[in-house]
Amino acid sequence: MGPSPTLHTAALAGLEGLLNRALALDPESGRALAALDGRVFALDCTAPHFQVYLLPSTDGLQLAGHWEGEVTTRVRGEAADFAELATATDPAAALINGNLTLEGDSAPLIELQKALAGLELDWEAPLVDNLGDVAGHQLAEAFRGLFSFSRQAHASLERQLEEFIHEEARLSPPRLELEDFYRDVGTLAERSERLASRIERLKARIRRLSQ
Amino acid sequence: MSDKQSTHFGYREVDNDAKADLVANVFHSVASRYDLMNDLMSGGIHRIWKRFAIELSGVRKGNAVLDIAGGTGDLAARFSRIVGDQGRVVLADINDSMLRVGRDKLIDTAHQGNIEFVQADAQDLPFPDDSFDCVTIAFGLRNVTDKDRALRSMLRVLKPGGRLLVLEFSKPESELLGRAYDGYSFRVLPLMGRLVVGDSDSYQYLAESIRMHPDQETLKQMMEDAGFARVEYHNMTGGIVALHRGVKA
Repeated sequence: MGPSPTLHTAALAGLEGLLNRALALDPESGRALAALDGRVFALDCTAPHFQVYLLPSTDGLQLAGHWEGEVTTRVRGEAADFAELATATDPAAALINGNLTLEGDSAPLIELQKALAGLELDWEAPLVDNLGDVAGHQLAEAFRGLFSFSRQAHASLERQLEEFIHEEARLSPPRLELEDFYRDVGTLAERSERLASRIERLKARIRRLSQ
Repeated sequence: MSDKQSTHFGYREVDNDAKADLVANVFHSVASRYDLMNDLMSGGIHRIWKRFAIELSGVRKGNAVLDIAGGTGDLAARFSRIVGDQGRVVLADINDSMLRVGRDKLIDTAHQGNIEFVQADAQDLPFPDDSFDCVTIAFGLRNVTDKDRALRSMLRVLKPGGRLLVLEFSKPESELLGRAYDGYSFRVLPLMGRLVVGDSDSYQYLAESIRMHPDQETLKQMMEDAGFARVEYHNMTGGIVALHRGVKA
């Protein structure tokens, strides 16, 4: 059994406010959402029970607990299954092949994820405030898993790309090697200077002895 | 005079003809600070109740929506965004003070494009048959003199398949909550009304009218008797408020 209609609706109102305030500060994400105008995404969390429909439009993102029309993409699973996406090495594969059930067209869902991934969101606050610590936290983890994994996936991809350029293809020296090299150059420069001054001292001594 | 039909005005028994004027006076008195009082009285929860009603309305782009007793336009503003340029929202209220406050508020918040304002009696709606995809009445039905007649009128203006949503105070599910709610309604509300609006009588009426309003099952039966199909209701906040929904077959 899900939360009472009042709490469920209050949690969604809180989330909707949070999302739309963040979107107002990020025009690029807003434009990406506007391109999804008319699509409807359903998230069925079975444990804890929580249902939300996401309706992107040119005005932002509307969240609803009830929807009786057509749904573009529906994702169903437990909060823990959603949360696993956040740590999956290949989130797209985990979304399709994991414990989550995906119905409908997955491409618009990926677009929605991309649009929301750039936002800095505190999913926890509105959910915990209205649904309590345990269910609120689990659902926040689920939302983070589904909508914040792209950012982590991008970070992971960037890290892997850096390693490839430095270690595998040797296209550019890694930072540590460069630092070692610069330190060696510095040491060599100091030793050269000390040698040059020693030579100068020896030359001066030779001149004094030959006089 | 004894054959005149009577109805309730709060706990008082009054002639049917007198109720409309008495209710009108209440709303003339509170119109200017209606939104503020709603927020204070419900702790802002009335916005959540209305939001839930909008979700269950199933209203889509291009729909025609009639919001009866629309007052200060909370529902109409939201419907206006949902139905878009191709849609139509009619905000109707019998009380011109409430309608004026609602119209000013919606114009100030740039919502006027697809909204019409109509002063209308819920019992005799001035619209052709089969005009609307959805009719809503939020916290208004208990003020209507002849509720059965109003429900039949709403059914008439709905298109086949159209939905009626009645959001109204109702009967708390638990006795304990009911007693706490009684204490709040009869002690705190009139005091709040006196402090904020300068009118405790209107809020005394509000508390009394809530108690006299049909409970969940009775209203469901009334909607079915009026001709609505698939009537269901959802209790909110422990039954303090209930949302009834019926469909025109």
